[in-house]
Amino acid sequence: MITLGSYLALSGIIFSIGLVGVMTSRNVLKVLLSLELLLAASNLSFVAFSKFNGDYAGQLIVFFVILVAAAEVAIGLAIVVLMYRRLSTIQADELRTMKW
Amino acid sequence: MVDACLVWTAFFAPLIACVLITLFFLKCKTSSSLIAIAGIVISFICSCIVFTQIFQNDPPAQLQQSLTWIHIDDLTINFGFLMNPLAIMMLLIVTGVGSAIFIYSRGYMEEDPSSPRFFAFLSLFAFSMIGIVLSNNFIQLFIFWELVGLSSYLLIGFWYHKPSAADAGVKAFMVNRLSDFGFLTGIILLWSLSDIGQGRSFQFTDLVSVVPHIAPHMLTIVALLLFCGVIGKSAQVPLHVWLIDAMEGPTPVSALIHAATMVAAGIYLLARTFFIFEPSATALTFIAFTGAITSLMAAILAVAENDIKRILAYSTLSQLGLMVMALGLGGPMQGMYHLTTHAFFKALLFLGAGSVIYALHHEQDIWKMQGLWKKMPITGTTFCIGTLALCGIFPLSGFWSKDTILALAFENNTVLYLIAALASGLTAFYMGRLFFVVFWGESSDAHHQGHGHEVHESPAVMTCPLIFLSILSAIGGFIGIPHFLFPQEAPEGLNITVAVISSIVALLGLGFAFNIYGKRPSSDPLAAKLGGFYIVLKNKFYFDIIYGWYVDCFQQTVAEYLERVEKEFIVRLCVGGITNLTRNAGKAFRYLQNGLVQFYASIFILGVVLLFLFLMKSFALIIALSVLPLFLFLWLA
Amino acid sequence: MSPFFFYLFAFVLIFASLSVVLARNPLYNVLSLVVAIFSLSCLFVVLEAFFVGMILLLVYAGAVLVFFLFVVMCLNLNAISFASAAQSRLRWLGGLAGLMFASSFGLAMKSFMKAQAMEVSSVRGTIETIGKILFTDYLLPFELTSLLLLIAIFGIVSLAQGALSTGKETDNI
Repeated sequence: MITLGSYLALSGIIFSIGLVGVMTSRNVLKVLLSLELLLAASNLSFVAFSKFNGDYAGQLIVFFVILVAAAEVAIGLAIVVLMYRRLSTIQADELRTMKW
Repeated sequence: MVDACLVWTAFFAPLIACVLITLFFLKCKTSSSLIAIAGIVISFICSCIVFTQIFQNDPPAQLQQSLTWIHIDDLTINFGFLMNPLAIMMLLIVTGVGSAIFIYSRGYMEEDPSSPRFFAFLSLFAFSMIGIVLSNNFIQLFIFWELVGLSSYLLIGFWYHKPSAADAGVKAFMVNRLSDFGFLTGIILLWSLSDIGQGRSFQFTDLVSVVPHIAPHMLTIVALLLFCGVIGKSAQVPLHVWLIDAMEGPTPVSALIHAATMVAAGIYLLARTFFIFEPSATALTFIAFTGAITSLMAAILAVAENDIKRILAYSTLSQLGLMVMALGLGGPMQGMYHLTTHAFFKALLFLGAGSVIYALHHEQDIWKMQGLWKKMPITGTTFCIGTLALCGIFPLSGFWSKDTILALAFENNTVLYLIAALASGLTAFYMGRLFFVVFWGESSDAHHQGHGHEVHESPAVMTCPLIFLSILSAIGGFIGIPHFLFPQEAPEGLNITVAVISSIVALLGLGFAFNIYGKRPSSDPLAAKLGGFYIVLKNKFYFDIIYGWYVDCFQQTVAEYLERVEKEFIVRLCVGGITNLTRNAGKAFRYLQNGLVQFYASIFILGVVLLFLFLMKSFALIIALSVLPLFLFLWLA
Repeated sequence: MSPFFFYLFAFVLIFASLSVVLARNPLYNVLSLVVAIFSLSCLFVVLEAFFVGMILLLVYAGAVLVFFLFVVMCLNLNAISFASAAQSRLRWLGGLAGLMFASSFGLAMKSFMKAQAMEVSSVRGTIETIGKILFTDYLLPFELTSLLLLIAIFGIVSLAQGALSTGKETDNI
């Protein structure tokens, strides 16, 4: 029996994986990709709630989230490209001028 | 009817004079002296007018006016005056004798470059003293009490370049401060007991109705504590040590402050608030014996002094002791009567001594003065009148006032009478000694060779006050002062026995003095006659040495220990500890900002987890899981 | 039938996301994400949210991840070596945080039970139904997102413009 709980558990797992990815990736691109995973997990959760509560609002929110994610990725990648041009590397550790 | 405006004018005129001098006239000698004299004379004139107004009616009028200064719940402190016959008499003395001395000091301080400062301080003192006289509540009295102490300090140490003068000023202030501690404790204790349904009060008029309701032993304690203030201000044993050294100040200061008015403030306090002391026989006995002991001890010490001003200072001490004793025997009228006449002739004596000092260019050792009567007739005559008044010779004012005190002692307590009589005899002896050594006989030119020029009489600005005061000293017994002081009391007749005994004792004392000193030996023969005892007298019964030892050995060590505690513990440990803690915490937390975004993200997520756990109320997990990252962070950083 | 498809797509999703995080080659990362998005879309279809599922495929997998691929190719990442930095220790903190986060889900047992008891409704997220709501109740956010996209384009163009005009020297990061 597939219930809302299963979908939420799945969403939680994906979210955790994405979180670990964001926090531990040495590569900036991988960080961005993991961010996408986070968003995907949230989207799944929304849609599941929408289905089980009988409210379309969840799906509409997903629609907007996808849009915003697209815009955010575009800008994020532009920044990554600029970073590569400046530092010749895309290691996250190289961005550390805001130190104490 | 008493005009309140006049009272306020009399109150504040000297203060305005002081402020004017300080702000505008610190460089002009003549203007500053004139402003100061104007201030005190205005007060005197106002006092005279108020005096006539009070005694126009029968019974005499009384006026009290005050503004509320502080009012917080139960605490009410007013600022105002209480004008009654006692107050107006004291005010007349202060302003009258004060005017004479102000005029005198215009001449005396002529050559001193910083005389404007002198007149400013003198006016400040006049204001403070008038404040004590007019105050209608204890807190205001205390404020002016302290102000008078301050003025005294400033004036004693007026020539602050002289180390002995500066030290004397500090000594006077410290001793007074000590006594004021007891005084303030007594005031506050009395206030705390003063609730009989209308709230607590500091006002004298309210306390009159409160006193009967206070328990006897508490009243004794209050009375003794209040008497502490008198001990310091009026220089009773054991806090008499400052008055002798206070002679370092200029002579007008000694005349005004340390003879006529400030030291009499204690007596005035006792008389004004006598209703507090009256019910307590223990306190009264204590007061009486303190006064008697002071009187006798000072008289004994005066015999061995060689400085003209110090002899007069000891005689002041002795007379103050007599006044205090009178109050202790239950006779405020007698004490105040003697205070009034004492103000006259003691001021006269001091001003005369100042005249002599001025003429001899600040020479103060009596063995260097000889036969001055011929050279300075006015000074000599007035000094003679003053001496006779002090010794209590009929019909001068001193005779009348001193006899009322002796009669009071005779009737109530024989021991005290004997002590007082002995002190009076000694008074006559040493005053005679002083007079004969300084003024009697032939003047020797050899003494004045060092000064280069002739000794002549002082200028009129100095001799007129002398004449004024000598007239008052002479007729003071006949103008009915007791009636003005305490109109309700019936005038007492003269006690013939006491009068005769005291006259005989005084004449004996003068005769003794004439015997030893009439022939004007070149140095004091008493030194040889008294031998070892003379050395004890020279050391003033070792009071100063004992106090000095206490301060050096005991008090100083305690103070140094406390300073160390403060420096080490409070400053270094507590305050420094806080700063170090903050600095080190900052140093530790700095490492949290290492510029790595993913690190920030990790901390962020940890915070979210903690928040989640907190909301789910699993405290054990919170504690466990929050300690863990901390250790991790420390390992990583 | 429903449970089978759910478990199928769920496992694909999990493996793909693990691959996104754990794979070494950046190309594999991107392609794994494509697979993950695809399986997510299928899950949406299982949940009868057809419109959103298609949009996901079109926009996400079709545009965004292609963009990622462009960048990966452009930066020639295979040549860059990922030497282990000195700060590798701090990454453990991240791992720990993620672990704690995941385990804290276990505390939500009660609401999980509640969620398990919910009934499925008959909502079908077709174009028609979504469109009806999108253009009536949610019209304003819809228009605003277009504005958002416009602003995003502005941002990127200005970033790139700075880089273009000054070459390597740029301070627009």
